[in-house]
Amino acid sequence: MFSILRINTATGESKTEAFDSKEYLLGGRTLSSRLVSNEVPADCDPFGRNNKLFFCNGALAGTNASSANRLSIGAKSPLTGGIKESNAGGIVALRMEQQDIRCIALEDAPKSDSPWKIIVIGKESTTMIDGSFLEGMGVYEKSAVLSEKFGTKAGCVTIGPAAEKMLLASGLACSDPHGVCSRYAGRGGLGAVLASKRIIAMVILDDGKLKPTYADKDQFKVGVKKLITLLRENPVASKFTKYGTAAMVDICQSLKVLPTRNFRHGTMDDAEKINAQTMYDTIKERGGEGKTQHACMPGCVIQCSNVYPKKDGTILCSPVEYETMALMGSNLCVKDLDAIALMNRIANDAGVDTLDCGAAIGVAMEAGLAEFGDGAAAVKMMEEIRDLTPLGRILGSGCKTAAKVLGVRHAPHVLGQALPAYEPRGTKGMAMTYLSTPMGADHTFGFTLRDEDDPTTKEGKVELSKKFQVIGSRMDAMGMCNFVRYSVRDDMTPLLDLIKARYDVIITGKEFDDFVKETLRLEHQFNIDAGISAQDYRFSETFYEEAQPETGEKIDISDQETAEARNW
Amino acid sequence: MVKIYFKLSDIEPMEIQIKRPETLDHVLTLCREQASIDIGEFIGIRNSRVITGEQIVENGDEINIFPAISGG
Repeated sequence: MFSILRINTATGESKTEAFDSKEYLLGGRTLSSRLVSNEVPADCDPFGRNNKLFFCNGALAGTNASSANRLSIGAKSPLTGGIKESNAGGIVALRMEQQDIRCIALEDAPKSDSPWKIIVIGKESTTMIDGSFLEGMGVYEKSAVLSEKFGTKAGCVTIGPAAEKMLLASGLACSDPHGVCSRYAGRGGLGAVLASKRIIAMVILDDGKLKPTYADKDQFKVGVKKLITLLRENPVASKFTKYGTAAMVDICQSLKVLPTRNFRHGTMDDAEKINAQTMYDTIKERGGEGKTQHACMPGCVIQCSNVYPKKDGTILCSPVEYETMALMGSNLCVKDLDAIALMNRIANDAGVDTLDCGAAIGVAMEAGLAEFGDGAAAVKMMEEIRDLTPLGRILGSGCKTAAKVLGVRHAPHVLGQALPAYEPRGTKGMAMTYLSTPMGADHTFGFTLRDEDDPTTKEGKVELSKKFQVIGSRMDAMGMCNFVRYSVRDDMTPLLDLIKARYDVIITGKEFDDFVKETLRLEHQFNIDAGISAQDYRFSETFYEEAQPETGEKIDISDQETAEARNW
Repeated sequence: MVKIYFKLSDIEPMEIQIKRPETLDHVLTLCREQASIDIGEFIGIRNSRVITGEQIVENGDEINIFPAISGG
């Protein structure tokens, strides 16, 4: 049986229910999106009492299987107006498992002027205590205070000042293995949804000592070793260990899809100043607390994360990943890793999504508020977000809002969510994915870039995107890290065997993919019921009118084609 | 000559002479034999386009070989 802990944020009452369905067994996005679909009225106000926030761990959480402790968080998004699943690494999923919890559901909402509360979940009780003392603190300070009060091993979820003011690009910060809330479920404005329930933090205490049980412990051990071998032998995963996702800077530059100058261009001069090799060399040269490889969750053998140090070797920011390097680097023509890492740190402290805020600053630069390439000005804009100035509140509401306010037509988003770090006119497969995910523009939903023989034609891209939408969604579907997919891309058996060994439940590859496709169907239906129409799944019109200089390409994908890519 | 540049790698660039157009996989096999290197899974890029192992390359081509990584 799997438990869901329901907490009424208006009354403080809580109750536990238990289920034994395969949806609960799989957990992750399979569960979070079903719960949103079943329990949240699609036409509700995302900040109203009818929205709910679901935190789900996955089928292998709490075990020693590598990369199995992703936390899937679902709700109606205030940024897109549709369904949202955003996930993060860290230790929260593990702590939930140790408390025998598959899902935490935050329901209802108190009056908007109610005092801030902290939810504390332990083996003896679930309580809501006063959280007013955290108000206004940055995430790093909140994190330190929470660690001091509840211990560094507690699994915490908190928000920054941006979410306290309901900014649409605000995320949820989750504890990393060192007790720092630096692992973000950044996309979709879910931080503001937590704030709308007047919850400033949620803490899962480290007093849950439940050990994982196994139907066949020996077989599970065999399966864990097999997965580790697959991950270590897979050159993709092994390269992640050295360079992390930063390696994409060079790849995207070569493919002319590195977002540059507010997504006007696909290449940037001197891109090597912010590439993986420069980052690797900088971290090694500075030494100190810097790390070129780092695990975001216990037991992960991929270790794609990093710790970027200041010149004196103390931590500046962890992690600094490709998407941020592009949106806060090349997209702004900022060629300085220190400036990018500082912006990333400020974003983490303010509690906002680096992609949406990077894109918003790109829009602001196009509007003439600063020169492209001016790293100091970009840092100052991030400080404005953290300090909640009027401009900061606009930028912290994402690039769609910023573009409307600042009068910029070339706004890089779909459904209000900023484009990730692949300029869509140069990669029609990624463009198709952006236009067909129920979450707003999202690269993890169907990462076609490596498999596009001819990236500048739309031919065959419906099928290609759909193929990778399934591959990409499999990991979310059971709470695994997305990077495991490379090792099980053609055969999910190693993970399904682990499920069998743990629960004595057989899920075939076809049955698993049926769950994935049903999840996609439910997510799209939610968006339809929320009033999102086919015409909303478009880029800004300028992407259709103006060619990307490096490729000469425009977006030529029709509504009918994107509708086909959303048809499950 | 086909010029192969191994990006984000310690492997030096290589020039491979082929008598006739060959698949990229074949050319990379020649690279492996010539220098005893482990290339592993890769993203090949020629003229700003991804080139798969089955695609044909010919003398004069310049190909960048990246480790097969994606964003996160």
